[in-house]
Amino acid sequence: MSKLELNSYIGLESEVVRSELPVEASIVRRFCQAVMDENPMYWTPNEDNRAYGGPVAPPLFPTFMFGRTFGSPDPIQLNAENPGYDGLNFSRVLPDIEPIRGYAMLNGGSEVDFFGYARHGEHVNRQARYSNIVERDTRKGRMVFVTTESDFRNPRNDLLLRVRTTLIWRPQ
Amino acid sequence: MTSAKPRCFDDFAIGDDLPSLTKGPLSTIHLVRWSAAMENWHRIHFDHPYTVEHEGLKGLLINGTFKQQFIAQLLTDWARPDGWVWKMNFQFRAMNIVGERLTLWARVANKRQAPDFGLVDVEMGIVNEHGVESTPGTAIVAFPYRHKQPLPYPFVAPVPAEIA
Repeated sequence: MSKLELNSYIGLESEVVRSELPVEASIVRRFCQAVMDENPMYWTPNEDNRAYGGPVAPPLFPTFMFGRTFGSPDPIQLNAENPGYDGLNFSRVLPDIEPIRGYAMLNGGSEVDFFGYARHGEHVNRQARYSNIVERDTRKGRMVFVTTESDFRNPRNDLLLRVRTTLIWRPQ
Repeated sequence: MTSAKPRCFDDFAIGDDLPSLTKGPLSTIHLVRWSAAMENWHRIHFDHPYTVEHEGLKGLLINGTFKQQFIAQLLTDWARPDGWVWKMNFQFRAMNIVGERLTLWARVANKRQAPDFGLVDVEMGIVNEHGVESTPGTAIVAFPYRHKQPLPYPFVAPVPAEIA
């Protein structure tokens, strides 16, 4: 792959995508129980969430509100006879980076800026961009570091959080 | 957890430890429950033969996305109800393998002042039961000054030039 090919993706920005579903109590419950953080401010009105307008979702919850939409192709079934399918199913609002298609992926880390909570009943809008792509030689060979920046906003267009995540891609 | 004693910027000193948070030992069941909650089925978190034989890893990995939830919990538990976790960043430097018990630690590294509220710089990380650090990071938590106005909500970031 050439540096030029990878660089052509830097700055590429998605449309604004609205979450198919709003913050729902049942999904918040499952999320909170999974991360073992059952703070009452996530499920019942109380002193701690009064300033935020009532029960809110955990701070990073909006990043998980963009699962596969109803009626879209099911990657698990499509790969049911593919023993090498990795199972990855993160929401793709940006196009795949063709030069690294088929590479294995690891999560390298994140930077998160928080400004507000998503309230129960609210949808969230997301817009993402490729903010940086670099190749590096590591002890385990050549790898590609892809940093994606995503903004998550409530229906009033308040910025709730900005997340910069670096995924590390390596040839299989 | 609810309505703790109000705290302000002046209540913290450089070097103070934040209350630690321990998760686990984290089993495959924990990882599957998290995969279901976030609807992502990356096999390196629950399919041992695939993980070892196909991906060449030494065991099922504890998700980075799982660990970042723990970091957010550590910080928000400490900051509430009067503070606001403005920034956090972390790197996944080492893998954590299923079965490990993770302890999150953090301490006050610095204090800075913005015109309307104070900023507490935090250094933090995640160690397993063998003391191996996997997830070093930093955070910035805003707290109001004593007897001054509460923090704005939604949070309004201070102008960098006005932070001392």
